[in-house]
Amino acid sequence: MRNASDTETVQRGPKDPKAPKAGAEGPAAPRGGWLTLGRGIRLVAFVACAALILSFPEMAPNPYVLSAGVVVASYACTATAWNFMGGFTGYISLGHAAFFGLGAYGTGLLIRDLSMPSFLAWLVAGAIVVLIAIPVGIAALRVRGASFVIVSISFVLILLLVSQAWKGFTGGSNGLVVPRPFPDMLRPEHHRVFFYLFVALLAAMLLVWWLIDRSRFGTGLKAVREDEDKAQALGVPTRNYKLVAYLISAFFTGLAGGMYALWFGDLDPIFQFSILLGSYMVLMALLGGVRHLYGPLLGAVIVGSALEYFKLEFGDTQLHLVATAVLLGIVVLFTPDGLIPAARDLVRRFGPQDSSIREITAAELLERNREAAGDTPEGDPKEEER
Amino acid sequence: MSGSLLFQSLVLGVLLGGLNALLAAGLTLYFGVMRVVMIAHSAFLILAAYLAWYFNQQTGLDPLLSLFVTVPLFFVVGIGMQRLLITRLRPATLTMMSVLLTFAIALFIEGMIGFVWSGTQRRIQLPYSGSNIEFFGARIAVVKLIAFGLAAVSLALLYVILKKSRFGQALRATIQHPEAAKLVGVKTDRIAGLGFGLGLATAAVGGTALSLDATIYPSLHWHWIGPLMAIIVVGGLGSIPGTAIAAMVLGIGQSLLQVEIGTTWAQTLFYVALFGTLMLRPQGFFGGRLAQRF
Repeated sequence: MRNASDTETVQRGPKDPKAPKAGAEGPAAPRGGWLTLGRGIRLVAFVACAALILSFPEMAPNPYVLSAGVVVASYACTATAWNFMGGFTGYISLGHAAFFGLGAYGTGLLIRDLSMPSFLAWLVAGAIVVLIAIPVGIAALRVRGASFVIVSISFVLILLLVSQAWKGFTGGSNGLVVPRPFPDMLRPEHHRVFFYLFVALLAAMLLVWWLIDRSRFGTGLKAVREDEDKAQALGVPTRNYKLVAYLISAFFTGLAGGMYALWFGDLDPIFQFSILLGSYMVLMALLGGVRHLYGPLLGAVIVGSALEYFKLEFGDTQLHLVATAVLLGIVVLFTPDGLIPAARDLVRRFGPQDSSIREITAAELLERNREAAGDTPEGDPKEEER
Repeated sequence: MSGSLLFQSLVLGVLLGGLNALLAAGLTLYFGVMRVVMIAHSAFLILAAYLAWYFNQQTGLDPLLSLFVTVPLFFVVGIGMQRLLITRLRPATLTMMSVLLTFAIALFIEGMIGFVWSGTQRRIQLPYSGSNIEFFGARIAVVKLIAFGLAAVSLALLYVILKKSRFGQALRATIQHPEAAKLVGVKTDRIAGLGFGLGLATAAVGGTALSLDATIYPSLHWHWIGPLMAIIVVGGLGSIPGTAIAAMVLGIGQSLLQVEIGTTWAQTLFYVALFGTLMLRPQGFFGGRLAQRF
C-alpha cells in the first residue's frame, strides 16, 4: 500500500508544477501561429493608435476641440500615473489630486518667486512632490484598505484648507497666475505644443509601466495586490516596494500637474486640490482596467471626452456630478476589472478554446471557493476537497 | 485668552463634540457590520438638512418635525442600500470597492441636491434663531443646545438598543465575529442590513440638528466627511466608545483652537490627529483591533 501511494505522489509530482507554468506564460503561448497573428494585430493596432493620437491636432476642426484634446491628454497622464499605485499594488488612493495640485502649485511658485525657467521649475516641482510624498507615504502605508483611502482623502482636504488659508503664499481663493513658457505663441499653436508635450509625458509613463510590469519589482508589487500577507511571508519587502510605487506614482502625477499649470496658466485651490479630480483618476483607471498598460489611457479617453461633452451641453448645472456618479457606480458594480478584460473575454469566447489552466487572481479564487462552499451546508471548501 | 472666553469655547466644543459623536457612531456602525467605510454618510447628512429646510419652507412648521419623516425614510434607504448595492460587491475586494461605491452615491446626492435646489446657500430662519441662554457666564445659542440635546438623546437611545435589546446583542455579535455569530443562529445578513439602516438614521437626526444653525450648500458634505473619518480612525475603527471619546476630545480641541488661530486652521487639527495616530498607533487609541487590516 505504501509503495502504491508513493508512486502516485511521484507521478503527480512533476505534473503539478508544470500546469501553472504553462498558464503563466499565457494561453496563447503553445500555439505558434496564433501567437504571431496576435502579435501582428497588436503591432498594427499600436501603430494605428499612435498615428491617430499624433495626428489629432491636425484633424481637430477648431481650437476648442484641440483644447479639449489637451484636457483629455492630461487626464490620461494622471490616470496612468495613478495606476502605478492603484494598478500594481491594489491600494486605491482617492487623494492623488493632492500630488497633481502640489506639482501645479510648485511649478507656478518656483517660476513666480525664484524666476526659474519654466521647464526647470517643472522638474524641480516634481522632485519636491516626491520629497513631500515620502512622509505621507510612510504614514499612509502603515494601514491598509479603507484606512489608506481615508488617509489619502484627508491629505487632499488638508492641502485644500492650507492653500485656501495661506493667502500670502498661494494667493488663496484668488488663484495663482502661472507665466506662460512660450509668451509670444498664439492660442491654437500653444494648445498644439502642449498636446505633444502631454503625449510625450504619457509615453514616458507607459514605458516605465511596461518596464516595471516585467521586472522583479513589478512581480513583488503584484504579489502585494493579490495577497499581502503571503507576499510578506515569502520575503517580498512589501513596505519598501509599496513606498517606491507610491513615490513613482506621486512623481508622475506631480509632473502631470505641473504641465497642466504651464498649459492652463491659472490655478485655483478648489480645482487643483479637488477630490473630484482624484475620483476621476480612479474612475478612468477602473473603467479601462487597472491591470493593463493601456487601461487608464482608454478610460481617460472615454471619461475625459464624456466630461468635456457634458460641460459643453449642460454647462454649469450639477448634472455632470450625477453622470460621473452613475458611471462610477456602474463600473464598480458590473465591471470592476475594466473594459479591456471584458472585451478580451468576449474575443476569447469566439477564438480557439484553450485547455491550459488560466491565470486566476486571489479574488477570483476566493469567489469560486465561496461559491463552492455555498452549495454545501458545511461551508468549508477544504473539507469538501478531501 | 480670558477665563470666560475659555469656558465659552469649552462649552461650544462639548456641543460640537456631541454632534460629531453621533455622526461618527453611524460611520462606526457601517464599518462594524459590513467593513464598509461609508463616504456618503455626510452626503446623507446634508440631504437630511436640505429636507428639513424644504419641509420648513413648504409648511412653515418647525424643522424638527421633519424627523418623523426623514428618520424612517433613511432607515429604509439604509437597509435597501445594504441589500441591493453593497452585497453585490465581491467579498474579496469589498472594502475598497465599497469606498468607491459610496463615493459615487455621495457625488450622486450632491449633484441631485444642486440640480433640484440649486447651489444657492440656504438657511432656516426660526423665531428662536437669535436667542441665547446664559450659563455660568457663557452665552450659548438655543439652537446649538437643541442640536446637542438631539444628538445626546439619539446616542443614548443607540446605546440602550445596542446594550439591552436582543437585536443589539445580535448586532454586536455580528460586529465582533460574523462567522461565530452565524454559528449561534444570528441572521447576520439581515442584521447587517438593519445596522446600515440604523447608521443612516443617525445621519437623518444629525442633518436635522445641523439645519437649525448652519448655512447649507450642496458641497458642504466634504467639510464633514474628513473630520468624521479622522475621528473614527483616531478612535479605532469599529469601536463606538472610542469614537465617542475621540469625537469629544477633537471637538473641544477644535473649538479651543478656533479662538487662537481661526476657523480654517483649526480644522486641520483633525488631520494632524489622524496622521499622528497613524504614526504612533495605527490601530487607533481606543480598542479597534480591526483597524490595521482594513
